[in-house]
Amino acid sequence: MRGELLSANHAAALAATLAARANRTGRGFCSGVYPITPSTECMEYLCNQQIEKGKVVRVESEHSAMGVCIGAAAAGARSFTATASNGLAYMAENCVAAAGLRLPIVLAIANRTMGPPWNIWADHGDSLMLRDLGLIQIYCADNQELFDTVLSAFRLAEDQRVLMPAMVCMEGFILSHTVAQTEIPSQEQVDRFLPLTRIPQQLGEIPHSLGQIELPAQTAAHRRQHHQALLGAEQLFEEVRAEFAGIFGRELQGALVPYRTEDADTLIVSLGTMGLTAQRVVDQARERGEKVGALRIRMLRPLPAAAIAREFAGKSRIAILDRDISLGFGGVLWGELARFAAPGAVTQNYLAGIGGGDVRPEHLEQVLADLKGRRQSGSPVFLEAL
Amino acid sequence: MESLRNSESAGGVAIPVGVELPLEIRVHGRGGQGGVTCAKLIAALYARMGLAVQTFGDYGSERSGAPVQAFTRVDRIAITNRNKVYRPDHLLVLDAGLLETPVLSGVAPGALILLNSTAAPADLGPRYQGFRLATVDATDIARELGIGSSSVVIINTTIVGAYARLLGLPLEQLEEVYASLGVLGDLAAAEIAYRRVQIREASANPPSAQAAALEAAGLAAVAPMTQEMLDLPINLQTGLWSNQSPSYCQYTPPCNAACPAGNDIVGFIQALKEGGPEAAAAILLRTQALPSVCGRVCPAPCMSDCNRKAFDGAVNIRSLERWIADHSELALAREVATNPRRVAVVGGGPAGLSAAYQLALRGHQVTIFEAAPALGGVLRYGIPAFRLPLAVLDRDLSRILDLGVSALCGTPLGPQDLVRLAEEYDSLIVCTGFGAAHELGVPGEGLAGVEQGLPLLDRFKSGSQQISGHVVVVGGGNSAIDCARSALRLGAASVRLVYRRTRQEMPAIEEEIAEAELEGVRLMTQRQPVACLGSDRINAVLLAEVEAGAPDASGRRRPVVTDRTTQLPCDRVILALGQQNGLELLPADWCVEAGRAWSGAKPLPVFFAGDCSTGEGTVTHAIGNGRKIALAALAALEPPAPFSALEPLAALKPPGLAAVALSPQSSHLKGEGESAQCRAEVDRVVAPAQIRFSHFEPDPPAKDRHLSLNQARAGFQEFNLGLAGPEEASRCFSCGHCTNCDTCLIYCPDGIIYRNEKGYRVDLEHCKGCGMCVAECPRSAMEMNEKVLPGGSR
Repeated sequence: MRGELLSANHAAALAATLAARANRTGRGFCSGVYPITPSTECMEYLCNQQIEKGKVVRVESEHSAMGVCIGAAAAGARSFTATASNGLAYMAENCVAAAGLRLPIVLAIANRTMGPPWNIWADHGDSLMLRDLGLIQIYCADNQELFDTVLSAFRLAEDQRVLMPAMVCMEGFILSHTVAQTEIPSQEQVDRFLPLTRIPQQLGEIPHSLGQIELPAQTAAHRRQHHQALLGAEQLFEEVRAEFAGIFGRELQGALVPYRTEDADTLIVSLGTMGLTAQRVVDQARERGEKVGALRIRMLRPLPAAAIAREFAGKSRIAILDRDISLGFGGVLWGELARFAAPGAVTQNYLAGIGGGDVRPEHLEQVLADLKGRRQSGSPVFLEAL
Repeated sequence: MESLRNSESAGGVAIPVGVELPLEIRVHGRGGQGGVTCAKLIAALYARMGLAVQTFGDYGSERSGAPVQAFTRVDRIAITNRNKVYRPDHLLVLDAGLLETPVLSGVAPGALILLNSTAAPADLGPRYQGFRLATVDATDIARELGIGSSSVVIINTTIVGAYARLLGLPLEQLEEVYASLGVLGDLAAAEIAYRRVQIREASANPPSAQAAALEAAGLAAVAPMTQEMLDLPINLQTGLWSNQSPSYCQYTPPCNAACPAGNDIVGFIQALKEGGPEAAAAILLRTQALPSVCGRVCPAPCMSDCNRKAFDGAVNIRSLERWIADHSELALAREVATNPRRVAVVGGGPAGLSAAYQLALRGHQVTIFEAAPALGGVLRYGIPAFRLPLAVLDRDLSRILDLGVSALCGTPLGPQDLVRLAEEYDSLIVCTGFGAAHELGVPGEGLAGVEQGLPLLDRFKSGSQQISGHVVVVGGGNSAIDCARSALRLGAASVRLVYRRTRQEMPAIEEEIAEAELEGVRLMTQRQPVACLGSDRINAVLLAEVEAGAPDASGRRRPVVTDRTTQLPCDRVILALGQQNGLELLPADWCVEAGRAWSGAKPLPVFFAGDCSTGEGTVTHAIGNGRKIALAALAALEPPAPFSALEPLAALKPPGLAAVALSPQSSHLKGEGESAQCRAEVDRVVAPAQIRFSHFEPDPPAKDRHLSLNQARAGFQEFNLGLAGPEEASRCFSCGHCTNCDTCLIYCPDGIIYRNEKGYRVDLEHCKGCGMCVAECPRSAMEMNEKVLPGGSR
């Protein structure tokens, strides 16, 4: 294995640093940051970097951190921030603004349980809370993938056909604090990969306002445009992947990561690192002769609906894992995906690792056994209840 | 050193023998010990072999000292396992105190265990027989090399050296890895651990199945958030997490260390603050025979060494002593001596008075023989009234005489009298002070108008001397200043003070010099009289310029007299050049060694104290030496168990003082034979760096009040009126002595310090040894102590 030993938090910050430097002949880079466990190491690392025509502003809150990013992007700069959990909740109002203003800010989120009760460990509930606001959302499962995705998120968000914030998610501690070999490209490669940031609506010499009050019809049009642009990002991501492979010589993971799904009758579907555990369980099940496959959803917004439907086609049993819960409903991922299952298929939601518990292969074996015994879909099941 | 044996390789790089992939490693440590970095260093070792690695900590909300874990995985292919390590192949335990916790959970027989411990593998018992076991005292190594802080030694970089040895890796590989992670500075520690680690291979005995058992998850029932709740304390024995624990202690304050009289200065100042002048006097009078005198004329080395000096100015200790002496009526009661002695003291100056006082306090019968008509020596005849009024001296004298000391004044003695007294009394203490005054040794010194200062001061005092014309005083000590100021008061047209060194080098008390200047004395420093001019009476003095030469033995720069001279017209020259040690009374066949007289090889019950013996030249030194010699004289009379008579005077405990501030130093009548523990404590003087200035508000020293200049020059009324009140006592830092200020209690992050009747109690069952109380103690009255852990382990 080649690569530098980096934590995922540091990898995200390093990707942002390389992206920042790549805009040195453009409008530069500016980032507002505020620490919160388990994201803090990301902003710490960024603060320590020397960036030509770059400025990292340490502010007094997440709300202001995004405020700085909005101002920077509105002035045409590349921008980035990192946060988690209740910090993201506090930032949320300005995330709405960043999305509504169509500013291509990249966020690295170290997913952490929302409190109280206070808990510092992983749960996808924080980023899912911002699911509907018009930000790209991509979930990662290992260090290299996270680095590559943060770098690519700049490319995708700043694409002139997209122009909106992109959120790259990693589970707190499980990924944010795990150190592993990470291949780091040269600045020259990154320079070629990322065009100079261009924000057409940026503030210039002639004064104009951003996001002024609108009539219903105008807003409806803007929502439609935003929606279309976000949907289009799925296809553009494929272009980005092709560019990425051409310049860096390795594959950038796609919107979906199917694993041994072609001939499978049973599917384990998940977000983030649980997808890797699912793959290990798939291997074990295959050794027993069971036709099990795994599908890891990387891109949640835009939701690659058609591709998911293709993966679900012909599967008779589908377990959808959620490290989150939409209270009063069930798992968010399940709510998003259950409709893609073939008619008559058993689609069952399992709530696993809520509040950061370690989800191990033996747990997913329990899931498989439970799924096998079901004649029809049921209401969401908590893993501990199995 | 073992060479690397290649069993297999990944990408052409050797993998150590005995390592099977995938490999899982678990590190147990305590928050703050660096377990995560330890796991990362290990990961870097394997990464260097071209293997895929993954390393992460098991993070929680724990603070420093809590048991924590970190993990490393190694494989040939990219690692997809995102779980914690439950069945480690290699187990590192950074703190043997953790062996109490279930660190062996899931460890399979045949696994490798590396333990930071003072114990050898063989000492660790049958529980570990199924494992390949290695131990190294990494804490000792890391501490020796100064890695970490005083309370938390960081051993991660050290123990990885031992781990490398277990793998059979050469040291050079460590060097590369340490360099890549920026901890090359710790490589030396790793190398020592590499050499010192002790290894015992796994035994062939069938391993116990118990060792490999996974710890059952065992989750407690979770109560609903909406039910009525109580936060019941969890009995978590966090005291097991620590290697060190805090305790309250006493360090010696610098003022106490500097006091020539041996006064417990912090003791009496804190007593003044808490209990008023009577309580303070109860402490002060144990060592101080002449508090009213010293509170006025002591050069106060305590103030020069006061730790507050570096903050906002020394505590005005001298004037606080004066305040206590002037505002208390207390006299210590005479004790009943077990073996009452009869002691003769020759000389009624400060040393003799101090010796007599200490002896009388202890119930012995003392007779002072004084040549002059009244007691006091230099205090009575050599210090002008504007500095030390006679009434003040008499107040201290009456306290001494009230103890039953008899004084025979007007009784000059000769050497033969000493021989006689040595026979008549159990013990004889000679305190005759300095001998003859130093002379200038220049032409014309014999002219009329050139005179010695001390007799002149005596005549000034008795009012039998008037002065007119221009006066030159030669010298830089307190007597010189006294002569100059007295001359001004008695009508001199001008007074010049000639001194051969610089003003900063003048031995006189700084305030006295300043006051003299204020009154009109003109200083002429770096000048030396080389001739007195005149026909029958002096009319001028020839002054040579003096340059500072190389430093002499005392560290002061030797004055070098040049041939550049000026003539200074004058009507009178007063010499105050100091005096010679005087042992004129010593009988011919006696000799003195370390303050005791010997006749040939036979020690006599005769002692010498004060300036005649030491020549230290201040009242305070004389008082200290008088006390010390008195106690030595008593001890010499006892059979070889001199400590039997050393019970503290229970009745002298000052009221209203916290018990914690009392022992053991404050039992001053114990005298100079204090126990060995006390002696060790005396060596631990609190330095300014050990005082937390940030805990104190700047508050400039209270200044003494003075007579107006017109009043001062008009007569011999006491010039310095002392402090307006005792509030200055509150400025004392109480260095090294707890004042029950609650800082430790407030700063303890675990809230486990409690007040009790003695001061404070630390709940050691729950103290994690973070050291914050010790670090925050404003006055260095706490310390961290190494804990003895079960099994002699770390």
